[in-house]
Amino acid sequence: MPVTQKDLMIKPKDALLKGHFACAGCGSALAFRHAIGSVADKAVLVVPASCASVYQGSGKGVAFNVPTINTAFAASDAVASGISRALKRKGKDDLKVIVWGGDGSAADIGIATEIGACDRQENILHVMYSNNVYGNTGGQRSGDTMIGARTATTPKGNTTPRKMVPFILIANNARYVATASAAFLEDFVEKFQKALSLEGFKFIQIDISCPPNWRADSAQSIEISRLGVQTGIWPLFEWDRETNIAVLSRPGKKYGDKANRKPISDWTSLQGRFRGITDKELIALEEDTERQWNFLRKFM
Amino acid sequence: MVVKQETKSMTGNDAASYAALFAKPDVIAAYPITPQTTIVENLSRFVDEGKLEAEFVIVESEHSALAACMGAAWSGVRTFTATSSQGLLYMAENVFWTGYGRLPIIMPVVNRCLAPGWNIWPDFQDSMAFRDAGWIQMYTKNNQEVFDTTLQAFKISESKDIALPSMPCLDGFVISHTTGQVDLPDPEDAFEFVGPYDDPVIALDVENPWAYGSMTGPDQYSKHRRDLMVAMERAKKKIIDVHKEFEERFGRSYGNGLIEPYGDDEADLTLVTLGTIGDEAHEAIDRLKAEGHNVNALRVRTFRPFPVENIVEFAKKNHKLVVIDRAASFGHDGPLRIEVEAVLKRHNVDTSVSGKIMGLGGEDVPYSAIIDLAKKELKE
Repeated sequence: MPVTQKDLMIKPKDALLKGHFACAGCGSALAFRHAIGSVADKAVLVVPASCASVYQGSGKGVAFNVPTINTAFAASDAVASGISRALKRKGKDDLKVIVWGGDGSAADIGIATEIGACDRQENILHVMYSNNVYGNTGGQRSGDTMIGARTATTPKGNTTPRKMVPFILIANNARYVATASAAFLEDFVEKFQKALSLEGFKFIQIDISCPPNWRADSAQSIEISRLGVQTGIWPLFEWDRETNIAVLSRPGKKYGDKANRKPISDWTSLQGRFRGITDKELIALEEDTERQWNFLRKFM
Repeated sequence: MVVKQETKSMTGNDAASYAALFAKPDVIAAYPITPQTTIVENLSRFVDEGKLEAEFVIVESEHSALAACMGAAWSGVRTFTATSSQGLLYMAENVFWTGYGRLPIIMPVVNRCLAPGWNIWPDFQDSMAFRDAGWIQMYTKNNQEVFDTTLQAFKISESKDIALPSMPCLDGFVISHTTGQVDLPDPEDAFEFVGPYDDPVIALDVENPWAYGSMTGPDQYSKHRRDLMVAMERAKKKIIDVHKEFEERFGRSYGNGLIEPYGDDEADLTLVTLGTIGDEAHEAIDRLKAEGHNVNALRVRTFRPFPVENIVEFAKKNHKLVVIDRAASFGHDGPLRIEVEAVLKRHNVDTSVSGKIMGLGGEDVPYSAIIDLAKKELKE
């Protein structure tokens, strides 16, 4: 059943309490409130080293109102596997084991662990919130960093394409894989709920704005994410193993056609991380975006 | 009254896997590494044959093996895995996370030296690298002790007043792949000794949510580590008590569970050892005594927590301790010798301490080599 704006307004306060440490305009905390809030009484969270290990708060003031296990950077999907198996033994497999982590763990250091859990068909959902950078260490390049982005370790601009993590998991026989955007929360929560209704390894990559590391105005956090979809930078789709078909999602459907897209520079111009991007880099970014769309079309 | 037991012939790794089978862990994680592999192979067979009802997680690395056990332990179930050498090093951050997180995971370490060069033979360099990780470490001398120690480890680690992981250590190949006699109790007697894990140290709960391992300031952090230190101190008595209870039920003992002396209480020279060299030292002592030398031996069974009081008390009655280390702290000395020396100095015991590093990378340490060392030391 489609999730409506009204549904979203009811529960979120249950999962993320006041006093969290997220930066102003953090798309991850916003996505957390809505998604985790929609299953707050059933969720068990596993958080690898990531912004979420910080913005959950500290000591007795932890703002995550669900059981939360913090793990080492590369350990989260294996810890989640252990929890899922133990809950099964205890007859509590109605609980939802969710990994909530960034792109550093999902695209880089934890990718072997993630593929391992996927390969074993562990009954967990991994939500990779993508800000395309190592956020809380000060904004270094990750495997998810876009071409042309100026990061703390690519001050002259990143030159290599992004890892297409969702496709890596499709290739490894995940049960369900989707992308989402913090600008389209109804779509995200719908996918989130659908993923949790399925047995096996599920994966959602959600684009979230990171105002400090993107050097963007926190008031434009959602606007930037929306432009990510409208410029085609961020395809919105879901893929189900049973059909082996990728379906473009409602909010992003028309951007499958290049003619409907806004220029990528509409999106880059709002972010300081692209300040000084050259025409050549912009073309390379466009080409990489198209490369991802072409890959996606093979499943459509 | 000692219960009935059946004498079997099996390898040390078999003994470890039978102890795990009888303790009935809920979640077992498995990743192969020589010479540990047959432990988890046995367990996979037990699960497949329906002898053991457990979730068997075939992970993609040792890092994930321990991580999966951690997740299960946080959920409040009994967990088991095993590893060796490079595998132990690969799971390093989780080894510390488990100890500092007070998760009562049982993980036999089949001791094997570290690369380079490639060598699968025993020394203690692997587990010694984790002496500060907050795990109970017990070094075994033979197949029987592997079974007994692994079974005891569940009971010790899962006690709420201890809440520490345990690493029973067994010499690669010398124990792990060598067939020997093991007296096995009835599985139900063994399980009754360990008891069910129904009052877990920790168990995540959606009704009463808490966050585990969130950001922690210096005050709280140092309090946690002090608690760990105190728990280790409490573990000494727990190890003695569990060992005694085991002895009453199964009729076997290893000194008091912390240290195992051999020979007379007082001697001119004492051989101090860990692991199988301790067993070999018995032969050396018998032969030296037959030649008229006044010698005895002390095997340190529990290395963490370090049995300070017992070693001090023993050393006071003796004159010269010769420590045989099967590991090295490069730039200093053998770790066992370093610790024995430090303990005696701190307690103003003037018994002399010397030592030798032997048996690295599987170098054979026969009783004849131990006799040579003792004779040389007796002359000095």
